Amino acid sequence: MGRETLQKKTAGGILLKLQNRKLLDKSTTIINYASIFFMTVALVILLAPIVVRGLGAYIFRGTIEHRKVIFEQFQRGRPEILQNELDQVQMARQPVFDMLKSFETELDEMEGRESREMNNQLKELKGLLRELYGVLPGERDPILLRKQYGKTRWKDAREVFHQIMQAEKWDYSDPQHSRLVRFPRRDVFQGTSLEPLFDYLPLKFRETMRPRLVFYLHFLLDESKDAHFFGGIFPEILGTVYLTLFAILFAVPFGVIAAVYLAEFAGDTRFVSLLRSFINTLAGVPSIVFGLFGLAFFINTVKLSETKSVLVGGATLALLVLPTIIRASEEAILAVPREYKEASLSMGASQLRTIVSVILPAALPGILTGIIISMGRAAGETAPIIFTAAVSVGKPLKLLETFSQPTPALPWNIYNLCTEHEAVDSIRHVQFGMVFTLIAVVLTLNITAIFLRARILKKLRG
Amino acid sequence: MKDSLIISKRANRLRRLASLLANGGLLTVTSLSMIIVIFIILFIARDALPFFKLEGFKEFFTSTSWYPAGDPPQFGAMAIFYGSLMVTLGASMVAVPLGIFAAVCLSDVLPFQVKQVVKPVIEILAALPSVAYGFFALVILAPIMQTRGPRLFGIAAWVALVPAALLAAYFLRGFVDSRIRNEKFRKATRNITFVMAIFGFFVIISRISSFFSGLTVVSGTNALNVSLILGIMALPTIVSVSEDALNSVGRELRENSYALGATRAETVFKVVIPAASSGIVAAVILGVMRAIGETMVVWMASGNSSQIPQPFYNFLSPVRTLTATIAGDMGEAAHVQGAPRYHVLFAMALALLLISFVSNLISEWAVKRSRKKLRGESS
Repeated sequence: MGRETLQKKTAGGILLKLQNRKLLDKSTTIINYASIFFMTVALVILLAPIVVRGLGAYIFRGTIEHRKVIFEQFQRGRPEILQNELDQVQMARQPVFDMLKSFETELDEMEGRESREMNNQLKELKGLLRELYGVLPGERDPILLRKQYGKTRWKDAREVFHQIMQAEKWDYSDPQHSRLVRFPRRDVFQGTSLEPLFDYLPLKFRETMRPRLVFYLHFLLDESKDAHFFGGIFPEILGTVYLTLFAILFAVPFGVIAAVYLAEFAGDTRFVSLLRSFINTLAGVPSIVFGLFGLAFFINTVKLSETKSVLVGGATLALLVLPTIIRASEEAILAVPREYKEASLSMGASQLRTIVSVILPAALPGILTGIIISMGRAAGETAPIIFTAAVSVGKPLKLLETFSQPTPALPWNIYNLCTEHEAVDSIRHVQFGMVFTLIAVVLTLNITAIFLRARILKKLRG
Repeated sequence: MKDSLIISKRANRLRRLASLLANGGLLTVTSLSMIIVIFIILFIARDALPFFKLEGFKEFFTSTSWYPAGDPPQFGAMAIFYGSLMVTLGASMVAVPLGIFAAVCLSDVLPFQVKQVVKPVIEILAALPSVAYGFFALVILAPIMQTRGPRLFGIAAWVALVPAALLAAYFLRGFVDSRIRNEKFRKATRNITFVMAIFGFFVIISRISSFFSGLTVVSGTNALNVSLILGIMALPTIVSVSEDALNSVGRELRENSYALGATRAETVFKVVIPAASSGIVAAVILGVMRAIGETMVVWMASGNSSQIPQPFYNFLSPVRTLTATIAGDMGEAAHVQGAPRYHVLFAMALALLLISFVSNLISEWAVKRSRKKLRGESS
């Protein structure tokens, strides 16, 4: 009777029915699975475009211009083969240039408005051709390197090709909504000596660029030319490696010693719990604050170096990863079976001796795991190095220069290239390549750590 | 015999001395963390206080006009504080429910083998550098949101609300079923209610969906974009810390609940989560802290416009946060050290520090409380 009335009298009563309870239970389970699913999907959505387009920096269809850049700027490639190819390309391009020339003479005979109109159109077309093929014959070599070469990537070249074939203009016929309309560029040059160009180019375009699949692994080892328009990301890679190594070198000794103290010596005193809570606090400090601290303390107060430098950046990053290393090492030390320690002590070894020659070796894999994870963190952090170590453009540093000079670094240059660079859109492949490389480095470190940890767990379980 | 005893005594004393020295030395090194924290506070405060001396408190906290390079410069940071708050709230709306449900899934639902597969996903999400998240937000998510955003919101509304509507309609049917006594009448009414409810809900959902589809996204770099990404960044912290808390509740409580006939959902929501509540609070605070302190994502993808959105809950408008302001303005301000323009950034950093300290204290207190509570209950 009691349960029956409860079910009927209260609105919440329906929640007591077994059927409904089961349904609620199932829907909760579905939400549970959905949240895990969402997380996995988020990871895939995040990584997929970065991996796919990032690989595009290493593997792509490169045109003859790419091989030319590589040969002239980085002295790689066989000159006789390249020369042969260049001759063939020249032959394929020559008709285009001839048509341009004959049109220019034709233009001289035109007069008034028509001439001006045509001149503008020619300028636009020439600009596009210049983008595609580099310097046009008879023109002076431009100062900027990016203008000396045409499109190095087949995909970009095809885009320019489409722009050449299809012109765009704004249609203002409806004053409310002006819109962009596309029309064949051929229409512009109807009846002139340039018209055959629009037949010739689709036929021979491939011959004028000669695309070929390129494995550009030197992307990692080449310096960048002309603000990342050509070349690779070596200075950034080297800077990241320096910063990471400095951070680890500073943080590991202090971190492991602190962990030894906390695990082996510290009692349950007030001071120790205060220390622990300071370590937690340090872990919670926002990364940008570390950057400001590095600027205010290491550069302005201690004057570790005159300006930003790798040394200062490394020291700042070390503060950031210190708590991680302490925690991981302490956990590793605590995980060492008591018997090891007791056996060593009962053999008459002192406590220090026991720690150095028994406990630390046994805890080493665990400590290494912590160090590897911290390396990943230090390599990827941007905010702390903005004011302490990073510059946008720089040469790869020698080891001694790291004490006084700033360096480009992967995370900072990713930010810089996709926000502050003058031609953000035309160097997308470099940006994606950098992000991909950084993620690959960080994930490799972390996956190593995951495997290491799995092995330790297995070993501890026996 | 006697000699060796003396020697061993001396050796013993030496050993004790060495141990004492070692203890002291190690303690000194360990205290380094404490010294660093104190130094951070000291040096940030040292450069922050001149700002308040020069400009006072009132403008900084109450005005929204931020023109540090103007003449005269204006330092109203209220909009910036609001931007931080808004983005953090948005991130926690994404991360807290998802994170807790995912943690429950890991601790109570998934079998061990599947868990081994899921855990690396969380670890990878946590390990990805923030600049990679920022890059994704700026280069991939922002254009999509700008061009196809409204339609996607509409679809998302359908996907999220249809299951909820079906469930609600089903319970409404049950409710009607339990209220009417007449046997014949009851069956007809409850089915009619069910159909009507579904119809009604669908109308409501399509209204909501078309409302979303009708929105215009002026710029893809806005508070919503950043909130989504920060939410995903905060997820791993929330999941792993609250999973620890849920796991530490122990088998007995769960088994007792199941023995009383409770379903898994009831056990989780009425027994396990209340028992682990302090730990979950700590998890949420740590996750939210990650969102407040994050720099690169907000700097790259929040639009960096120092204004309070109109209306104040408009997540589609660009905002500016404390961290992004520090990162963005220091480049120019570093040339005028000593000017209020330079010190104001330290004042912001000090505010960030204080927020992080307070939340850290709260989370630590919560963890301690949960440990004590669980120990008390299990013994």
